[in-house]
Amino acid sequence: MLQFFKNTHYDVVNKRRITFGISLALIVLSLVSLFVRGLNYGIDFSGGAKMQVEFSQSITAEELRAKFTEKNLGNPEIKSSGLNEYMITINPENLDDANGILEQALGGTDYTLLQIDKIGPKIGQELRSNSLKAVGIALLLVLIYITVRFEFHFAVGAVAALAHDVLITLGLFSIFQWEISMPVLAAFLTIVGYSLNDTIVIFDRIREDLKVHKGKPLADIINFSINESLSRTVITSLTTFFVVIILALFGGQVLFGFSIAMVIGVIIGTYSSMFIAAPILVVWGHKFKEKEKPLEKKK
Amino acid sequence: MSKKLIWRYLVIVALLGWAVYTIMPTLRYERLSTEEKSVLKEEGKLLDLESKIIKRGLDLQGGMHLVLEINVPDFIKKVADHQSAAYYDYMEKVDALYRENPEKDYLNIMLETAENDSLRLSRYFPAPDRRTDNKAVVDNLQKECEQAVVRAEEIIRNRIDQFGVAEPVIQLIGNKRIIVELAGIDDPDRAKDIIHNTALLEFVLLKDPEYTQDIINRIDAAVKRINPEEITAVDSAVISGKKSEDKEISVSELLGLQESDSTAESLVLVDEDLASEHPFSALLRNLGWDIGVPKENYYAVNRILNDPEVVRILPNDLRILFSAKTQKIETVQGGNAEFYSLYFINREPGLTGDAVKEAKAELGSVSSERMGQPVVNVRMDGEGTKTWARLTGANVDKRLAIVLDNKVQMAPRIESKIPNGRTVIEGFAGLAEAQDIEIVLKAGALPAPIDIIEERTVGASLGADSVRRGVNSVLFGLALVALFIIVYYRGAGTIAIATLVLNIFFVLSILASLRATLTLPGIAGLVLTMGMAVDANVLIFERIREEYLRGKTIRSSVENGYSRALITILDANLTTLITALVLWQYGSGPIRGFAVVLFWGIIFNFVSGYFISRTIFMSFTHGKKPLNKLSI
Repeated sequence: MLQFFKNTHYDVVNKRRITFGISLALIVLSLVSLFVRGLNYGIDFSGGAKMQVEFSQSITAEELRAKFTEKNLGNPEIKSSGLNEYMITINPENLDDANGILEQALGGTDYTLLQIDKIGPKIGQELRSNSLKAVGIALLLVLIYITVRFEFHFAVGAVAALAHDVLITLGLFSIFQWEISMPVLAAFLTIVGYSLNDTIVIFDRIREDLKVHKGKPLADIINFSINESLSRTVITSLTTFFVVIILALFGGQVLFGFSIAMVIGVIIGTYSSMFIAAPILVVWGHKFKEKEKPLEKKK
Repeated sequence: MSKKLIWRYLVIVALLGWAVYTIMPTLRYERLSTEEKSVLKEEGKLLDLESKIIKRGLDLQGGMHLVLEINVPDFIKKVADHQSAAYYDYMEKVDALYRENPEKDYLNIMLETAENDSLRLSRYFPAPDRRTDNKAVVDNLQKECEQAVVRAEEIIRNRIDQFGVAEPVIQLIGNKRIIVELAGIDDPDRAKDIIHNTALLEFVLLKDPEYTQDIINRIDAAVKRINPEEITAVDSAVISGKKSEDKEISVSELLGLQESDSTAESLVLVDEDLASEHPFSALLRNLGWDIGVPKENYYAVNRILNDPEVVRILPNDLRILFSAKTQKIETVQGGNAEFYSLYFINREPGLTGDAVKEAKAELGSVSSERMGQPVVNVRMDGEGTKTWARLTGANVDKRLAIVLDNKVQMAPRIESKIPNGRTVIEGFAGLAEAQDIEIVLKAGALPAPIDIIEERTVGASLGADSVRRGVNSVLFGLALVALFIIVYYRGAGTIAIATLVLNIFFVLSILASLRATLTLPGIAGLVLTMGMAVDANVLIFERIREEYLRGKTIRSSVENGYSRALITILDANLTTLITALVLWQYGSGPIRGFAVVLFWGIIFNFVSGYFISRTIFMSFTHGKKPLNKLSI
C-alpha cells in the first residue's frame, strides 16, 4: 500500500501564529497592490476591441507597434499569443473604427484575423456589475448552507479562509497585472467552490471527531482531524493541480487566464483549509466553550 | 448474487444504455465526410441528425455572436411628430444629460427634464390628446420602443434567412436587445452590415443652390464665432505664405480643440485665400454640379457640422449629408484627388422605402449610361407609384437625392415625371454591395437604428485549433490523473478511473440529449470535473484504508468506508453545485457553457463516482469467493 502520509502528527493548530503571520503578510501585500495598482480589467469589463491576428511572416511586437504609431493610429496594447500571432487591444473610444484602424495599420502585410471581440463600454459595465452580483449571491448561498449544515463558528472559519483565498488570488492578479476576463471570473468562483470543498472535508472530520473523542481539548481534535484527512487533501489537490496545469499548457491563449487563476486557487485553497480555516475554529470556538482549558496551559 | 446487487446492475445497465443511445448520433456525425453530409442533406436526414448531436459553440466552430441594442435616442427623435425650436432645445438638453449619465434610462431623463422645465411632452410626441400627462406619454414611448425591437427582430430574421446561414440564432433579450449568432460565416463584415444597416431608403429633394450658399455662409460665420483666435493664426500664415494655394493644417488647429485625440487627428486641406473669412467653405471644393469635400477633409467637415453651435444655427427642415462613395477627379496639378459630395437636402423625405415592392440587383444594361455598373432596380407599390409620380411631376428639373441610411447614393436631376414607379439606384462599390441592398430593401427597413454593443467573432481556423487543444487537454489530463491514481491505489484506483471515464461519457450524453452547446470554457469545465471527480473516490478509499488498517474485514471496511464518506462527499460537492448554479443563472455566454458542464459533472460524480464504484466494489466483496487481499 503506497501511502504518502502515515500516522502523521503535525501540530498545525499551534503553528498558527506562523501561518496566520504569513497569510496576513500576503493579504496586506495584496491589499496594497489592489489599492495602488488596481486590477487590469480586460475588455469584457472595460469595453474595447480585442483582435487576434496571425501573420504569414515573422514580425516582432515592436515592429507591429511601430505600424500603429507611424500612422498616428494610437498606441494599442499588443501581446504575443503564439507563433507570429498577436492580440491587439484597442480602447473603447475607437471601438467603432477598430476594423478600419487595423486595416490601415496593417495595410501591406499578409495577415489573417483569427478572432475579434468588441464590447461596448456600457455592456462592459453591465457585465461587471452582473458578475459582482453573481459572486455575492454564490457566497451568500454557500455560507447559508454551511451555517445550516454545521455550526455558526464553522461558517466563520470557512468565510475567513474564503476571503483569504479570494483576496490573495486577486492580489496576485493585481501584482502581475494579469487580465481579468470573464473566464478568469468563472475561475474565481470555481476557486471559491473548491476552497470550500476542501475546508468542508476537514470540518466534516472535525465534527465527527468531536463526537468520537468527547472531552479532549478542541485543539487536539482539530490537529487530529487535519492529520487524518491529510492524505485525502493532498491527493485531491494534486489531481486537480495536474489537470489545471495541463489546461494552462495545452488550453491555449483563451483559457490561460482561467487556468492560471485555478492553479493559484488550488494551491492557496488547499493551504487555507488546513492552516487558516481549521485553526480559526480554535480561536473562535474557544470563546464558546468555556469548559475547555486555555491553549497555553495545555503545552 | 444478492438482490441488492441485481437492482444496482439494472440501474447501471439502463444508464449505460441511455448514454450510448444519446451519444451515438454525435459519434456518427463526427465521422461523416463532407460528401456524406451532402448526401444526407439531399435525403433530408441531415437536419434530423444535427438535432441530436452535441452542438459546438461558436468559439469551437467559428462564427459571429452579436448583441444588438435599439438606439433609443434616435428612435425617440424619429417618432416625434411636432418639431419646433422648443422641441430641439429640449432634446438637446436631454441628450447632454444622457451623455453625462449614459447608465441612466433615456426615457427617465426625458420625463425628469420635462417635469423640471414644466414642458408638455404631448405637444411633441404621439398622445391621445394635448392634456395627456408626461408620464403617460413616456410610457407610451416605452411601449413603442419595445414594439420596435420586436419588429426589428422579425426583420433581421428575414434578412438573415435571405442571406442564407445555417441554423442562425436570433433571440430577444429583455426589451431592448437582440442576440444574433451565426455559425461558420466567411465574411463577418458583410453579415454585420446586412443585419444592422437600418436600410432606410428615402427619396428627398435637394435645396436650391442659392439657399445652400446662404447656409454655407452662415456656417462660416458660426465657425468664426466659435474660435476667432485660431482662425487668425491661419490668417497670419496666409499673409506670410503664398496666396491661393492649398495648405495642410490640423483639425485641432482649425477648431481650436484642446484635447488631443490622436487617432482621430488628420490633416486637412484649406484654401488659403478663403481660410480667414470663410473657415468652413475653405474646406470645400466646387465640383460643378456638386459641392466636393476632399477625402482628407471629411473628418473636419463632419466635426463642424456636428458642432452644437453650428447645429443650433441650422434650420430645422434641413439635413446635410455626404455621398456614399468618393469620386476621383483630376486636379489642376495633374494628380488624382478623391472627393465626397456634400448634399443639402430637405429633412422630410418625399417618399420612403416602405413604398418599395420589388428590388433587384444587377449590372446596368449595355445600352444605358450605367453600363456594367452595379445598380438596384426598384419598383414601387400602388400608393408609392402615385406619390412618386406626383413628386417627380411637380419637381421637374430639380434634383432629388436617393438616400440610404443617411448616405446619398445618387442625386439625379428629375428629367420628367415617372408614372410607373420604376427607379434605378446606383452608387454602389460592387455587385455584392448592390445585392446586399437588395436583401435589406426586400426585408424592409428596421423600425429604429440598431447599435452593435457586443461582437465576438471567431475564425473557423481558430475554432478548429481550439477543438484540438480542448481534446488534447482532456486526454493529457485524463492520462496524468489515471497514472497517479492507479499507482497510488492499484486495483481500487483502476475502478476510480473507470468511473471517471464514465462520468465524462455521461456528461457528454446529457449535453447531447439537452441540445446544450459545448464551448471552450465548457471543455475547461470538463477537465476540471475530472480533477474533482476523483475526490469522491479518494475520500472513500482513504476511509476504507483506515478501517482496514484498524483490522476490520475487507467487506466491512468497504461498507464502512462508503457509508462514512457519503456525508462528506455530499457536503463538499453541494457547495460547488451551488456555485455552478449561480454561474449558470447569472453568467453570460462563455461562462454559462462552463457552468452547465460543471453542474452535470458534479451530478454524475454522485452517480458514477459513488453509486457505480460502490457496485463494482460490492461485486468483489459480495461474491462467492471472498477477496483475501484488498488492492487499495
